[in-house]
Amino acid sequence: MHHSFANGLRATASRYSPLAIFLVPTLCVYLYFAILPTINVIGFSLTDWNGISPVKNWVGFDNYVRLFSDRIFWEAFQNTFLWSAVIVLINVGLGLVIAAMLSRVWRARLLLQTLIILPVVLSPMAVATIWRWMYQPDGVINRALEGIGLEGWARPWLGDPQVVLFALAFAHSWSTIGLSVIIFLAGLQSVDEDLYDAAKIDGASALQAFRYITVPALRPVTAVVFILTLTTAFRAFDLIWATTQGGPVRFSEILSTYMYKRGALENQYGYGAAIGVALLVIVSLATLIYLRLQTREDSSR
Amino acid sequence: MIRRRMIGRYVVLGALVVIAALMTAPSLMTLFTSFKPASELVRPAWLPPAAPTTEHFVRVWTDGGFGRYFFNTILISTIDAIAMIILASLTAYALVFMRFPGKVLLQILFVAGLMIPVTAIILPLYTTVRSLGLINTHLGVILPDLALAMPVFVFMFVSYFVTIPKALHEAAKLDGATELQIYRRVIMPIAMPAIVTTGLLEFLWSWNDLLLRLLLLPEESMRTLSVGLLNYQGLQTRDITGLSAGTVIMAIPVVLLFLVFQRQFVRGMTAGAVK
Repeated sequence: MHHSFANGLRATASRYSPLAIFLVPTLCVYLYFAILPTINVIGFSLTDWNGISPVKNWVGFDNYVRLFSDRIFWEAFQNTFLWSAVIVLINVGLGLVIAAMLSRVWRARLLLQTLIILPVVLSPMAVATIWRWMYQPDGVINRALEGIGLEGWARPWLGDPQVVLFALAFAHSWSTIGLSVIIFLAGLQSVDEDLYDAAKIDGASALQAFRYITVPALRPVTAVVFILTLTTAFRAFDLIWATTQGGPVRFSEILSTYMYKRGALENQYGYGAAIGVALLVIVSLATLIYLRLQTREDSSR
Repeated sequence: MIRRRMIGRYVVLGALVVIAALMTAPSLMTLFTSFKPASELVRPAWLPPAAPTTEHFVRVWTDGGFGRYFFNTILISTIDAIAMIILASLTAYALVFMRFPGKVLLQILFVAGLMIPVTAIILPLYTTVRSLGLINTHLGVILPDLALAMPVFVFMFVSYFVTIPKALHEAAKLDGATELQIYRRVIMPIAMPAIVTTGLLEFLWSWNDLLLRLLLLPEESMRTLSVGLLNYQGLQTRDITGLSAGTVIMAIPVVLLFLVFQRQFVRGMTAGAVK
């Protein structure tokens, strides 16, 4: 009995030991540095831990109750949505138009495409340095506006509470729209060229072809770009942290910067973790809701 | 009619030229500024330097510490890229070619990982790394880097491996080769496109990240370019030539990689998205 158990164990071991080489290293790293912190962020959010002390008291949902009555949290919440909405609007809308134009161009296409998508590889930190400089009160944007007689529009872009979030969203879009363009271009390759020829014969204009052929054909790809842009906007941190740190006052505070301030700088670890969970839930929900809408639309057709 | 269409085509081309120029302008002006002597800063930023100088690069590279930051960044990104190729391909190989219980569970675990935003779990990640004593070590950044991007690249390799005929694997198996031999001698040599794409993208993401490095590498000697640039910006707010030079130093390697491997980058960036 004992003997056969040992034999069985040995047999199992030799059967799966090759498998161990393939899976164990990845699983160790993945479980420990991705899954465990995800479980922990929920666990920490139910405590009053400051991140350092050995004292860690269970406080139930206190942090979440506090979160709901925290005015700054709701400001950051609104800002996160506004910031994401602007970015989605630019990256999906303009991204689609640029891709459609690129696919119709017959000259210098690779050059134009390369120049337009190149900012994609720049780090948010580099983007922050570039745009912080351009947005300065005496920066190149204000000088250009003066040059074309629009000095009334000139302002300290990152110091103006009314425009700072839009200015940063614009900088983010500048550096990420290339990804939308790439994905739309890949989608456009699968659109049947015959449809355009037929439309031409029927006397349709280029705009009509875009509206009635390109846009409907790219529906699924648009969903992908939408989700991709939305989730990257929600989880953004680097660009805002490296330019305004959420300022002036809190006019560009988004959830990630608020979480970093509370959790990492003020040692309110449990509270910061609760903000992290809110972020986690929002990103997953946004993805799920949109996927639901998309499948419902497909099945109703 | 035909004439109107011709005009339309030129309008599209013209619009694209304008867009491309506007998209390029911020980077180009930063490049100009990094080569401008201080005396030229009063001139409009869109004018190229009249008497280019490399003094700002020398200054930030030595006094600014960017030389050290550069090598720290190269080290981390290179190890990240190589380790990611090995780990993700091994796992994908097991998922595609091997049979074992719990395979579906493992796939679900990786799909779940795709939805986790790094930003949300950064605080507990910090304590995890600290509990191992890895704060201020390059390994302490590399391990989370690998874990957090792992699902993306596992699925990238899986989607490539499923296109390889199963018969190839079966035949090698009949010849008595072990799984590890088949992986090394049969599958990996024909998986070059997936290998290149994974290496490039992981290198890029690792090169560009700020948040993880800001938290996990507080010590000056361990800093990467992103943290170094942020810190320099905080200390030398008005030194626009130095900041531009630092930005150019940070951008050049990835821009060169992009120009050389544009096709692979584009394929990689669309691979996960369009299916």
